[in-house]
Amino acid sequence: MKRYDLIVVGAGPAGLSAASEAASLGLGVAVFDENAKPGGQLFKQIHKFFGSKEHKAKMRGTAIGAELLDEAQRLGVEVFLNSPVVGLYDNREVLVRQGDAVQHYKGDGVIVATGANENILAFEGWTLPGVMGAGAAQTMMNINRVMPGKNILMLGSGNVGLVVGFQLLQAGSKLAAVVDAAPYIGGYGVHAAKIARTGVPFFLSHTIVKAEGIDRVTGAVIAQVDEKWNVIPGTEKSFEVDTICVAVGLSSSVELLKMAGCEMKKDGLGVIPIIDDDGETSVWGVFAAGDVSGIEEASAAMIEGRLSGLAAAGKLGFVGPEALKNRKEELLSALEGLRDGMFAPKNRGKSQDSTSEGLPVSKCLLANGFLDDSETFSYPGVKSVPGLHPVIECTQNIPCNPCQDACPKGCIKVEGKIIALPVFDEKSKCSGCGLCVASCSGQAIFLVNEDLGDGKAAVTIPYELLPLPAKGAVGTALGRSGAPLCPAVVTEVKLIGAFDHTALMTFTVPSKFAMTARFWKNEVPA
Amino acid sequence: MTLERNRDFGDYVPAPDDDLVICRCEEVTKGEIRQAVRDGMFNVHEVRRLLRCGMGLCQGRTCAKLVKAIIARELNLPAPSLLDATARAPMRPVEMKVFANEKGL
Repeated sequence: MKRYDLIVVGAGPAGLSAASEAASLGLGVAVFDENAKPGGQLFKQIHKFFGSKEHKAKMRGTAIGAELLDEAQRLGVEVFLNSPVVGLYDNREVLVRQGDAVQHYKGDGVIVATGANENILAFEGWTLPGVMGAGAAQTMMNINRVMPGKNILMLGSGNVGLVVGFQLLQAGSKLAAVVDAAPYIGGYGVHAAKIARTGVPFFLSHTIVKAEGIDRVTGAVIAQVDEKWNVIPGTEKSFEVDTICVAVGLSSSVELLKMAGCEMKKDGLGVIPIIDDDGETSVWGVFAAGDVSGIEEASAAMIEGRLSGLAAAGKLGFVGPEALKNRKEELLSALEGLRDGMFAPKNRGKSQDSTSEGLPVSKCLLANGFLDDSETFSYPGVKSVPGLHPVIECTQNIPCNPCQDACPKGCIKVEGKIIALPVFDEKSKCSGCGLCVASCSGQAIFLVNEDLGDGKAAVTIPYELLPLPAKGAVGTALGRSGAPLCPAVVTEVKLIGAFDHTALMTFTVPSKFAMTARFWKNEVPA
Repeated sequence: MTLERNRDFGDYVPAPDDDLVICRCEEVTKGEIRQAVRDGMFNVHEVRRLLRCGMGLCQGRTCAKLVKAIIARELNLPAPSLLDATARAPMRPVEMKVFANEKGL
């Protein structure tokens, strides 16, 4: 039986990180993945990640994936693709399907990083072609370059629903609505806001009643629900859509861990393994890292992977106690930074009343996906000053601080923990470089000059849709809710390497719309 | 709350959405699952053995939670209290000729 110091199951963010960490300490590592390409879900994450520098914040998932693969390759990790692990037996014996045979391997340590699979909803018509998981839609468009549909209804307002919803807009689909049975949006407000300002409505406290169609989806009916999740008759609303994306959560793919005899604990309707802070399960030498040990962001999965890879190295004698301790502390502190704030695993399901600064969280944002215009000035990133200045519409405690590092003039400060709301220091002089706008993974930073001197204001927005408008193009400025405000002329479209594919579009509007115009649409008002 | 095998859960009452397919791989409907519960299958494991829901191509990755929720509602018990199906090799569909072709022993 072929033996490795460490066998990793799954070549996603957690698995590749685990493999590289272990290989860097001298372990011989094999990674098995069932897919034809490595990277797990990373290569379809075309958006910029949150976090701070140590978490690879403001890098796009695709770039992070490429970096992880390079690292693994450089360190001599053997990655086996098209190799589904079909069994995990006593003494860390791993059964892998490869070609026309099942191969037995033995790992002195085994790290299970199998990720998660999508939850689904059963409703009338859910088996029609055109109903799919949001992750499936994301794979279709971002990996296989196939449009999932032209008109989409998104079920679920968690980060998966919001991120995939925006990416569908980027791919050229129309998003009819985002629907969630919960009374409040589950994902980051900034993700919701970038959808809302394009004019997509949110229907909270609503559920799907049925998908319509004979041999494919041609429509959908939703309805409002009461506190007990029962449909309120008479509240039905119909949409003409060809695709219904379901983003109602993920379930950890724990089958191998269960089979290996790892002790599990309940997690919603499913189970997750009981692990220590190294990710080790109740079975000696068997670790769980990433979503398989509980659903979190990929940024957390990568650190969990490294922790497990490090611990496996320690257990097998590849690293001394001192080096082990120091590296572990470093990794744990990085993980702690991510597991803080309103969206941390420990705060899941709790109502968001106020930020850690004591500011009220916008109910309008939670219910509709956008800040009410009257609320914006209550946050420390939004101030009205003469001349060009950033407007940071970041109102929830999310672990993220690239804006602070991006500003060469020291205008933006994320003080203390990285979940703190960014503060705009009005005493600093904004040079208008736009690096903060492009660095914000939530696309929540704008540059505004409220008075150009002729009664007009200039608003610069992050713009990630194609085609980019030409300078001089006349369109419509939209408010935070997506409502049309006024005609707006594009005065500049800037895209430099440092912006990493986020174009900065500047348009002019009458000064009274300076603090409300937040999107531009290539349509002239009737 | 524990599950009492001898408790009388009453007879199966047809519901309008009984023809909803829950397990797509094995084409098992909600009505069949509800009926199975009334016949004494009280968890995902037992229902799977009787109806094969969760034994198809996806191995229950899609329907297991749906099945669990239906059983729980039928028994009026919290879903997390119900036993899951056992996890067994092979974890992915493997043709018998491949499964029998063991290498590296």
